[in-house]
Amino acid sequence: MSLPASTLRAVLRTPTNLRPLLLLQHRLGLQSSPRNPSSSTASYHSYDHPAPAPYPPAETAILSAALAHVPTTGFTRTALTTGLREAGYPEISLNLFPKGAFELVRYHLVTQRTQLNTRVQFPDHDSAAPISVGRKVRSLILARLRGNADAGVVGRWQEAVALMSLAENIPASLKELSLLADEMWFLAGDVSVDSSWYTKRASLAGVYAATELFQSTDQSTDFRDTEQFLDRRLEELRTVGGAVSGTIEWMGFQGGAMVNLLRSKGVRI
Amino acid sequence: MATSASHAVKRLRLTNAQNWVCRNCTRRTFTSSSILAQQPRPSNQPSGNNGDKTTHFGFETVAEGLKASRVGAVFSSVASNYDTMNDLMSLGIHRLWKDHFVRSLDPGVRHPATNPPQGQRILDIAGGTGDIAFRMLDHSTNINHDRQTSVLVSDINPDMLGEGKKRFAASPYHGTGRVDFLEANAENLDKVADSSIDLYTVAFGIRNFTHKDKALREAYRVLKPGGVFACLEFTPQLANPVLNALYKRWSFGAIPLIGQIVAADRDSYQYLVESIERFPSQYEFASMIRDAGFLIPGRTDADSENLEGGWEDLSMGIAAIHKGVKPL
Ligand SMILES: C[S@@+](CC[C@H](N)C(=O)[O-])C[C@H]1O[C@@H](n2cnc3c(N)ncnc32)[C@H](O)[C@@H]1O
Repeated sequence: MSLPASTLRAVLRTPTNLRPLLLLQHRLGLQSSPRNPSSSTASYHSYDHPAPAPYPPAETAILSAALAHVPTTGFTRTALTTGLREAGYPEISLNLFPKGAFELVRYHLVTQRTQLNTRVQFPDHDSAAPISVGRKVRSLILARLRGNADAGVVGRWQEAVALMSLAENIPASLKELSLLADEMWFLAGDVSVDSSWYTKRASLAGVYAATELFQSTDQSTDFRDTEQFLDRRLEELRTVGGAVSGTIEWMGFQGGAMVNLLRSKGVRI
Repeated sequence: MATSASHAVKRLRLTNAQNWVCRNCTRRTFTSSSILAQQPRPSNQPSGNNGDKTTHFGFETVAEGLKASRVGAVFSSVASNYDTMNDLMSLGIHRLWKDHFVRSLDPGVRHPATNPPQGQRILDIAGGTGDIAFRMLDHSTNINHDRQTSVLVSDINPDMLGEGKKRFAASPYHGTGRVDFLEANAENLDKVADSSIDLYTVAFGIRNFTHKDKALREAYRVLKPGGVFACLEFTPQLANPVLNALYKRWSFGAIPLIGQIVAADRDSYQYLVESIERFPSQYEFASMIRDAGFLIPGRTDADSENLEGGWEDLSMGIAAIHKGVKPL
C-alpha cells in the first residue's frame, strides 16, 4: 500500500497511537471520493439493526428527572441524586448506575438520537424539488445540535466530553457516535452499502463530534459560528482526502480543547 | 489476624467430618484426587433422620438438614484463620476487592433529605469478623461525613460473630451504637423487619448458603424500596481458559494442602475451594437476582435477558460484584 504524500504528511502529524486508525481509513477506500459511491448497492438502514429499546422504566424516570438538572448542576453525581430523589428513590439507589454521571451523558445521547427523526421532516422522495443527501445531512446535524440547546446542556458539554474521554467510557461513547452517524445517513436516505460506507460513517461522525465541541464554546447568537464551522467541515468532506484532514482537525481540536479544559481545572499539562 | 497455637489446637478438634463423604456422586475434575485417595475415608452415608433431600457440601452430597451445621463447623474451624484462607484463594488481593466493593457501593448519605439527617441501615450478612462492616462505617464517616449510618452484622456462626465483637470492642466505633450483631441464618431473617434495610451486603458468604434463592427472597423482603442488594463472591470460572486452568490448579491443588499444613484442617479448606466451583456463573447469578425481583444495574435497554454489564468482574474474573436494586 503506497500512501500519497498528503496522506503521509497527515499520518505523520498524528500522534502515534492514532495512526493505525488513519491507515485503516485509507485502506478502506478513503481515496475514492465519499460523495461518489461505487456501484454496489446492497441496502443498509437502521431497520437491519433494530435500535435497542430505550432504557427500562425505572431508569428512564430517574435519568430524565436528573437530566433536567444538568443545566444548573452539570453532568454530575448531584444531578443524578436529585433525579433519584424526584423519582422517589433514596441516595443508595445510585448503585443502579455503575457508570455514574456518564450514564446521564449516555442517556442524553440515546434519547436525542432516537428522537432525531421527529425533529426533521424531509419531503417525499419523488417530490418536485428533491433535496440532496448532502443538504439533508447538514439539516440533520443542525437539528441534532439544536437538541443540545433545547436540553440546555451546551454550556455543560465540556463536562460531558471530559466524561466521554475517560478510558472506561470511550468504547460506549464511540459506539453512540457511530450509531448517530448511521441514523443520520439513514434519515438522509442514503441506503447504499459500498466500500466507501465506513469512510462516510467515520467522516460524518468526525464532523459531527468536532462541530458539537465547537458549539460548546460558541458565543455567537443562534450558534451562527457553529453553523459556519459545520459548513467548512462539510466542504472539506467534498474534497478528496477531506476526511483525513477533517479527522485530524477534529482530533487536534478535541485534544486542544481537552488540554484547555484540564488546565482550567488545574491539571498541569 | 494472627494464627496462634491455641487456635490451631481448637481446630484440631474439628469433627469427624470425613464420615459424611459420599464417594459416588462427586465430580472431582480438578481435585487432587490422588492425595485424597491416600486418606482412607469411610463411606458411611448420612443417616436418614435428616430427611431424604440432599444438597452439596463442596462436591460432597449431604442431607440438606446437615449442610448448615457442616458449614458452621467449617467456619468455626477456620474462624480465627479465615483471613489466611481468603488470602490464599484471592492470591492476596481480597482486601483490595473489599475496599473496591465498599467504595463502589458508596455507603452513607451525602445529601441528607431530612433534618436532622438520617443515616442508612446496613445489613452485612455472613459478616463474620466485621471486615466489611468496618469499611462501611469508615467510608460513610470519612467520605460522606455521615455519622448516623449503622451496620447490623449477621452470621450463622457465633464464633465468627465473636471475633467481630472483639474487634469492634477495640475500635473507635465501640459505644457509638453504630454496630450490632445478630446470629441468624441468611435464609431466614425473621428478626429483621420488612422494608427496614437500605443496603444488604454479603461478601464471600453466599456460596455457602443451602438455598441461595431463599436468601435472595429474604434480602428482597428486608430491603426498603430503592434499597440495594450487593454481593462479592468468587466466581467458578475465569473468562480466560488458560488462566482458569492455572488458577484451578492452584486452588484445588495447593490451597487444601496449605490448609492442612497451616491449619491442620484439610477438609475445611477443601470444602471452601469446592464451594466456589459449585457457585453459579455470573450470568446465572445475575438472572437469579433479577428473578428475585431486583433491578439489575447498568442496563441501557429494556431487554430483560440482556444482563451483560450487570456485574463487575474483579482481577480477570477471579471474583465478581453483583448488585440489585429493589424497585419502588
Ligand atoms: C468466608 S466467610 C466471609 C466473612 C466476611 N464476610 C469476609 O468477607 O471476610 C463466610 C461466612 O459465611 C457464614 N455463613 C455460612 N453460611 C451461612 C448462612 N446460611 N447464613 C449466614 N451466614 C452464613 C460463615 O459463618 C462465615 O462467617
